[in-house]
Amino acid sequence: MLKKHPLLTFIFFGFVLFLISNRLDELRVYQGATVAIYAIGISSLILLIGYSGQVSLGHGALLAIGGYAAALARIHYNAPVWLTFVVAVLAAAAGGALLGLAAARLSGPYLAGSTLALAIGLPSIANQFPILGGEQGLFFDIGLPPASLGADFTQYKWFFWICWSVALIALYWLRNVMNSRYGRSWRAVRSHDVAAELAGIHVGRNKVLAFTISAGLAGLAGALLAMTISLVSPGVFPLALSFSLATGAVLSGVTTLGGVMIGSVALVAIPEFALAIANRYGSETITTNLPGLLVSALLILTVLFVPNGPVEQLRAKRGKNEHPVKKK
Amino acid sequence: MIRINRRKLITTSAVLAIAALTVATVPAQALNPSMGSDPGITASSIKLGITSPLTGIASPGYNKIPGAMKAYFDYVNTNGGVNGRKITLVSKDDQYIPTTAVAKANELILRDKVFALVGTLGTASTKALTASTQLSQRGIPSLFVNTGFSGFADKKAYPTTFSILPSYQMEAKIMAKYVKETYAGKKIALIYQDDDFGRDALAGFKTAGLTFDTYIPYASGSQSLPATGAGWISKLKTAGTEVTVLFGVSSASTAALANAYGAGFKTQWVLGSVGGDATTIAATNKAYVPLLYGAKGFSFAPAPTDTTDEYIKLFQTIYAAAQPTQTFDNNVVAGMSNAFLAVQALKAAGANLTRAGLIKVIETKGSTFASPFLTPLGYSATAHIGATGYWVGTYGPTGALTPDGGKYTVYTTDSGTGPVVLSTYTRPAMPAKGL
Repeated sequence: MLKKHPLLTFIFFGFVLFLISNRLDELRVYQGATVAIYAIGISSLILLIGYSGQVSLGHGALLAIGGYAAALARIHYNAPVWLTFVVAVLAAAAGGALLGLAAARLSGPYLAGSTLALAIGLPSIANQFPILGGEQGLFFDIGLPPASLGADFTQYKWFFWICWSVALIALYWLRNVMNSRYGRSWRAVRSHDVAAELAGIHVGRNKVLAFTISAGLAGLAGALLAMTISLVSPGVFPLALSFSLATGAVLSGVTTLGGVMIGSVALVAIPEFALAIANRYGSETITTNLPGLLVSALLILTVLFVPNGPVEQLRAKRGKNEHPVKKK
Repeated sequence: MIRINRRKLITTSAVLAIAALTVATVPAQALNPSMGSDPGITASSIKLGITSPLTGIASPGYNKIPGAMKAYFDYVNTNGGVNGRKITLVSKDDQYIPTTAVAKANELILRDKVFALVGTLGTASTKALTASTQLSQRGIPSLFVNTGFSGFADKKAYPTTFSILPSYQMEAKIMAKYVKETYAGKKIALIYQDDDFGRDALAGFKTAGLTFDTYIPYASGSQSLPATGAGWISKLKTAGTEVTVLFGVSSASTAALANAYGAGFKTQWVLGSVGGDATTIAATNKAYVPLLYGAKGFSFAPAPTDTTDEYIKLFQTIYAAAQPTQTFDNNVVAGMSNAFLAVQALKAAGANLTRAGLIKVIETKGSTFASPFLTPLGYSATAHIGATGYWVGTYGPTGALTPDGGKYTVYTTDSGTGPVVLSTYTRPAMPAKGL
């Protein structure tokens, strides 16, 4: 169905989610919204890593740009919610384009290192300018859900609806881009840049474009993240967030969008497991550190046993491996 | 091509139509959370939640608060509970990071389904979690937050939040009166934390008409960097400072005292109540505690060493039984006072306990609650402020703050432009067995 009627599949998926949101308790609804945010963040990394062959360990910084842009647009211009998301995408894409110009000239560990530095450095800029609210950050309040949805309609359900609507539209659009001429060009660049150039593909331009689009999506995820916790501050976008997204992308399989839900659900489920383990065997203090350990362990295991991600692995087993990544 | 698109269009609209129909027939949620009894209470139990730093840089000292609260709640439980209900306290570790505090508060409310929050700690954390978990829209009481940010006493902005500490503005006004009277004509400097916590105090100093010869703001977090404290001291030296007022956290006091000592720089220290905690300073380095000797400090609770005080005597007994290995200090007094006040409020709310009823009773009767504090409580229908004043004391060589002149001379004021006056309040006797 996905191959033949992608739009229908997305609408159907959205409808199922809508039904689910009416049946879950508030905590799960809240976590469901987070899954949508991770799905956008991870797919933006998949676009970058799997499709254009560039690496970013600092995607948290791009999320931060989006989050701050959305909050500032809301606070200073009282922008409607949808507009804050547009502002977030544009701001992060602009940042990504600048970064992409530098990134196109770097590769491998140098690119990883410079994006990592960005993730560490950028959020602390907030401490330098009072308009960004310092360590305490800024509040990002989108207001109550519309009264027409009824008195029982909770804020978290509202977040869930917004996050998933945005995520489904973004993923649908991204799927189409990846199957378009641009997507093919990016894959060509990733597989062999010299061959791509011989085929008439402008390597540099394509890399920058991929970085820009990826950054825009990251900004969107950042704005949604800020919305669900009503706050932007350097603490919202820690280095651990960048690593989580990268882990999520590896868990999902970086060469295809199909597995994006695996990574995003895993990132939300891991702290839950950690809490269950801690409740049984330990104290509250270990719950704070256990998720990090589990995420790292899962990352290592995935790289060892299913380097192309579970979805690609399944396809390979069925002999339908479409875009294998060359093992180096 | 066109045909396929048309077919797609038809199928899409068919699905959308079915979807719309189903939406219309989906029943409204059967469970309405606002009806029936509130979460976290049964006929025999009340569940409360706290998020505070148990680990991380801000945890030394503060991490004793939840344990102290639990000790007092357990004492109440063994004496029959509150209106027949036993209190359980769920404690979470937020490491003093606002976003973690948000996540933990969400867990407390959505997973543990607590009746109310109690004693959340830190201005930034409390602000973030209050906004993010929408305490006021949900009507969840946030009892006795451990921060003096004056904003939390504002009922309009925080309708379900109640302060317990006097506001930083009150503290600054009382400090200003003391400094102006005691150190007239001297060169005075102010070191303060450049966020809502410090700026609240700055507003208080301004209201009280105290201007400093030197202002040294610092960003929260930067006080722990090695160069920061040294930088302050060289600024103080250059300005020829004789009296230094410090309105920051304990790690800032440590940085200031240690660097002044290292540089051989002598000044009269006047420390705000947050930064003058000997336990927290001792957790950094025990050798720094004697550096507090001679500094001026402010408090509103009886001194933890004052065994003539009936509350302190009771708290010491309870705490020694519950946590025999821990030392009894002002953090323990803070935690137990917090729990004590929560019990008074729950008791006053009666057997038919609801969230709205609890908030209402603190607004109407809160100012008459029994409390260990030496100042009146300020709760009213318009203000959610707890203690309303301070006494001045001097730190001894072991870091204990004792009142000047051998007795508590308490000043009281408000967070606005009201004057600082000598308090005429006499604390009512402790309820029987401290229950």
